Amino acid sequence: MDLFGKTITELQALIKEKKVAASEVWEYFVKRSKRHNPKLNAYVSLLEKPSNPIVKGIIPKMELWGIPLAVKDNYCTKGVRTTASSKVLDDFISPYESTVTSKLKLSGYELLGKTNMDAWAHGASTETSDYGLTKNPWDLGRYPGGSSGGSAAAVAAYIAPGAIGSDTGGSIRHPSAWCGIIGLKPTYGRVSRYGVIAMGSSFDCPGPMTQSVEDNAMLLQIMAGKDPYDATSSPVAVPDYRSKMKTKRKLKIGIAREYLKGVEPDIQTAFENMVDVIKKMGHSVVDVSLMSPEYSISVYTIAQRAEVSSNLGRYDGIRYANNRAYFGQEAKRRIMLGTYTLSHGYYDAFYKKAQKVRTLIKNNFKKTFEDVDLIIGPNTPVTALKVGEFEKYPFFGELMDQLNESASVAGIPAMSIPIELDSKNLPIGMQIMGNYFDESSIFNFAYQIEQETNFFDVIKKGREKYK
Amino acid sequence: MSKSVHLTKEDVLHIAQLANLPLSEESIEKYQKDLTETLHYVENLDELDISKTEASSHTTDLQNVFFEDGTKETRKFTQEQATQNAKNIKNGQFVVKRLM
Repeated sequence: MDLFGKTITELQALIKEKKVAASEVWEYFVKRSKRHNPKLNAYVSLLEKPSNPIVKGIIPKMELWGIPLAVKDNYCTKGVRTTASSKVLDDFISPYESTVTSKLKLSGYELLGKTNMDAWAHGASTETSDYGLTKNPWDLGRYPGGSSGGSAAAVAAYIAPGAIGSDTGGSIRHPSAWCGIIGLKPTYGRVSRYGVIAMGSSFDCPGPMTQSVEDNAMLLQIMAGKDPYDATSSPVAVPDYRSKMKTKRKLKIGIAREYLKGVEPDIQTAFENMVDVIKKMGHSVVDVSLMSPEYSISVYTIAQRAEVSSNLGRYDGIRYANNRAYFGQEAKRRIMLGTYTLSHGYYDAFYKKAQKVRTLIKNNFKKTFEDVDLIIGPNTPVTALKVGEFEKYPFFGELMDQLNESASVAGIPAMSIPIELDSKNLPIGMQIMGNYFDESSIFNFAYQIEQETNFFDVIKKGREKYK
Repeated sequence: MSKSVHLTKEDVLHIAQLANLPLSEESIEKYQKDLTETLHYVENLDELDISKTEASSHTTDLQNVFFEDGTKETRKFTQEQATQNAKNIKNGQFVVKRLM
């Protein structure tokens, strides 16, 4: 059977109906990964064997039985090398399992490989990885975006049917937009951070990256929930995303013009076309006013660097991993900025001020969501840049994530979905932001768009080259 | 926070020392420039009135999270597991620099 392009949901059905064996699915993706990874460099480590014993003829009642997924290399996976794409952790074999991958394991998934990323998730290109750049499957001369660039490229080229990423300031949404797939940053605390190598602890959100909205909702369903090992994970009940997704709701959608400033004309046009489609679908669209994303960049820059300096302080080279001389330039830059803004005499001027503005940004979103169900806008200011072009942009990471960081600062959920291609034949992403813990409305809306447009076949066109 | 913030070479060396990061001589100037630039960027926060605003340490309004005392046997590391990734081990213990 030809498995090419099948969603996770479709693969699940095929396995369940015994039309394909779990072992065949595993071999299929291993073969594809081995064939295409040398040019894409999506993986830091590719697994040789499935971890679940596959017994012929027996299908355990596990939701993800036989489904191989690619997981970003900042998730601790027991007995498997976990590097966060930094030489500091070059030979680190995790002695324990993250909560997210534990939950996936309990559901029967297979770990296919650990995906490349910007080292420590610092960046928006995978350029800072100590294991080389990941290439964008749409154009191998371009960045996949980042930091979850390996996960995005793996899904876009269909060397994995789905992947897990993490998003601190856009690290799921940004590469999803540049590679033309669906990526969700859930509400902060919706998914446990336990066992995810910490970057900015008040921002970090694990999330799914997929080819279909249903796959995305299904994976979040498994990943979400309160975890005793992450005190910041939320006790708010997890709704049944898929059943809520399929009732066609008429939603009130807000557009913040502040988020269209400085965005490439092709992206503006695609976005305006999308707004027309949304109106024709019967949703109401209104203008809303949000604080300029420029303030979010500043809050993010101060608070995230401060948290980085604290989180990366644990790498002493004594208990595990290499010593601090192994940190790359970007990590050093961030650690030093955070050390400075947290140091005596500067705390109030930087860190505390940033945390106060963070309150303003949160309140701004809370007030706006009293009036609308969702807020939409372009996901990135430009489509995938050519390798090397990042040097043209000082402050590259923050600039590329400028439309993503507000949701991260506020802690609200946000998704990137593909909407058309630009004149360079590169995918364009639209961001859908929702209220706290209202992933359901995002899924509902994205699913309706998928039914109506099939995302203009962007996802299909992306993988076609890798048939 | 004002435009006057300009890190000197000594500032960079001091910060690097606090963060226990070895810097090469030729990189110091680059960090001096980059860090100063970033500090200038974030000055836009001065445009906002935060005189009556409380600081947010997190985003989802959680309060008083408790953890049950004790731990599960299954979560405990053996000595071997706890030291398996260390570079310098003697008699099952971590070797550290002499402090006194």
